[in-house]
Amino acid sequence: MTEWHDAAATDALSDDEVMGLSIAGVPVALFRQEGAFFALHDLCSHGAARLSDGFVENGCVECPLHQGLVDIRSGAPCSAPITEPVRSYPVRVVGDRVEIALDR
Amino acid sequence: MPQGETTYVVVGGGQAAAWIARTLRAEGFAGRLVLIGEEPHWPYERPALSKEFLRGTGSVEAITLLGAAQAGEAGVECWLGQRVTAVDREARVVTTADGRSVAYDTLFLATGGRARRLPGLDSLPAERVHTLRTLTESERLRGALAGAKHLLVLGGGWIGLEVAATARALGVEVTVVEAAPRLCARTMPPVVSDWLHALHESHGVRMVTGVGIADITGTADGVAVALADGGRLEADQLLLGIGIEPEVGLAAAMGLALDDGILVDAQGRTSDPRIFAAGDVARHPSAFARASLRLESWVNAQNQAIAAARAALGGTGVYADIPWFWSDQYGVNVQMLGLPGLGTRAVARGAPEAGSGCWLMLDGSGVVVGAVAVNAARDLRVLRKMLEDGRAPLPDAWADTATPVQRLPSRPNVRAD
Repeated sequence: MTEWHDAAATDALSDDEVMGLSIAGVPVALFRQEGAFFALHDLCSHGAARLSDGFVENGCVECPLHQGLVDIRSGAPCSAPITEPVRSYPVRVVGDRVEIALDR
Repeated sequence: MPQGETTYVVVGGGQAAAWIARTLRAEGFAGRLVLIGEEPHWPYERPALSKEFLRGTGSVEAITLLGAAQAGEAGVECWLGQRVTAVDREARVVTTADGRSVAYDTLFLATGGRARRLPGLDSLPAERVHTLRTLTESERLRGALAGAKHLLVLGGGWIGLEVAATARALGVEVTVVEAAPRLCARTMPPVVSDWLHALHESHGVRMVTGVGIADITGTADGVAVALADGGRLEADQLLLGIGIEPEVGLAAAMGLALDDGILVDAQGRTSDPRIFAAGDVARHPSAFARASLRLESWVNAQNQAIAAARAALGGTGVYADIPWFWSDQYGVNVQMLGLPGLGTRAVARGAPEAGSGCWLMLDGSGVVVGAVAVNAARDLRVLRKMLEDGRAPLPDAWADTATPVQRLPSRPNVRAD
C-alpha cells in the first residue's frame, strides 16, 4: 500500500521553481511545472550533485555540476553526460499540501 | 546519412573520442566505427585523476565513458594501446605502429595533449618526478604520495593546485612554486589568484610565486630545486603542472592547418572536409570570444565532440558554447564562465573570497567578459543564460543578493568592435 508523505505547501513553489527536501531521510527535489508538481530523487544519476541546486528550463532541470539535463516529469536523461534516468516519485495534492510517495 | 559499408575512424581514446563514437551511434550511424586509442584503458574522463581517483576514493569504473560492454553493445571497434603512425589522406587509410590499417570515409582526430615537461628532467630519478594527464600517471602519483612527506609542485595552475589540495588531504606537506607573480595567471584575474593563494595557504600549503627555477637535481632521497632567487627547496616527490602541449604531430604530418592546435570551423571540421577534430587538440572559432580558442576543459571535450559527430552526419548545428570550466579544491567548487581573465574590474556578489559568491568580470568598457563562482554554481548558470541571450546584469545590481540573478536588471552585453 502506498504511503504518502507530507512534503510542502502548494504555494511554496512557483512555476519553474525547485526545492530540495528530505522525506523520511530520502533526498527529494520537488518541482512545479505549469501548476503541477513533480518529484525526482535529489541526486544526479551522473555525478554527486543535487538536482534541487540545478537550473530549470523548458521542462528540464540542469545538473549544477556538469550541465546534464533531466526531464522533470519523468526523470529521463535529456542530454550528455547523463545517460541513466533519475528516479521519479509519485506526487499528489491534498488540499493545500503536496504529498510524495517513496515506495515505488 | 552514410550507411552500410561506410567507415568512420576516431583517432584518440579520451573523453572527446568517446563522445564522438557515442554520438555517432546515438544519431543513427550504422556503418563501421573504429576508435584507436594510444592509452591501454577504455576511454575515460580525466577530472577525477587529480581529485577522487588520486585520493583513492574513486575507481576506474566510475570514470570510464565507453567500457568494453558498452562498446560491444554499440558496435564500436576499439583498438586500444595502439598508436597511429600515419594517415594517407589521398588513399584515406589510417596505419598504426603495429601495422594494422583501416580505410576511412570520415576521420576524427581527438588526440588531446600531453603534459609538458622541462628539459633536463631525464637525469632525475624517474620515481620522484611526475606529470598528470593519464590514468596511469595518476595511479603512479597516488602510489608515490602514499609514502611521501613533502610534495613539491612546479606550476600554480589548475592541475598543480588540485593535486596540492589532494595531497594535503592525504597529509602530505606541499610547496607550490609558480614562476608567474600569481596563480592561474593565464586564465584568471588577480582577485581570483589572490583568493586561491589564500585558500591554499589556509590549508597549510607553502606558496612561492614570482620565482623561477634555476636548477633541479636529484638527492639521496628525493629532489632538490634551486630557485632563481637563491632559495633551495627539497622534497621527496615532484609534480610538474606546467600545462599540456596539444598532440598535433599526426595532424602536422598530414598537412592539416594548425595554430597551437588543429584549426577547425564551428562544426569541428579541419582544413580537410573529410576530417574533424575535437577536444583539447582543436582550436575553434568562438562567437563569444570573437577569437579562436583552444580549450582544455571537460565540457569542451564533450560538447565539441558531439557537435563534430553530428556535423559529420550532415547536421547543421554549430558548437557555440560559452567557455565553462570547474575545479574542486578542499571541498570548494569553483566555476568559471566566459573569459574572466580578460576582465579588469571585478564586482562581487555575496562573499566569494569567504567561500560563497560570484565575481562578475568586466572589461575596460564595462562589458561582462566572464565570471568566477565559488560554491555558487546556480548563480553562474543563470548568468550563462543571460550571456547566451546577449545580456548581462547591471554591475551595480550584481551585489544585490536579495534579488535572484534572473530578476536583476540587465542590459545588452555587446563588445564594441
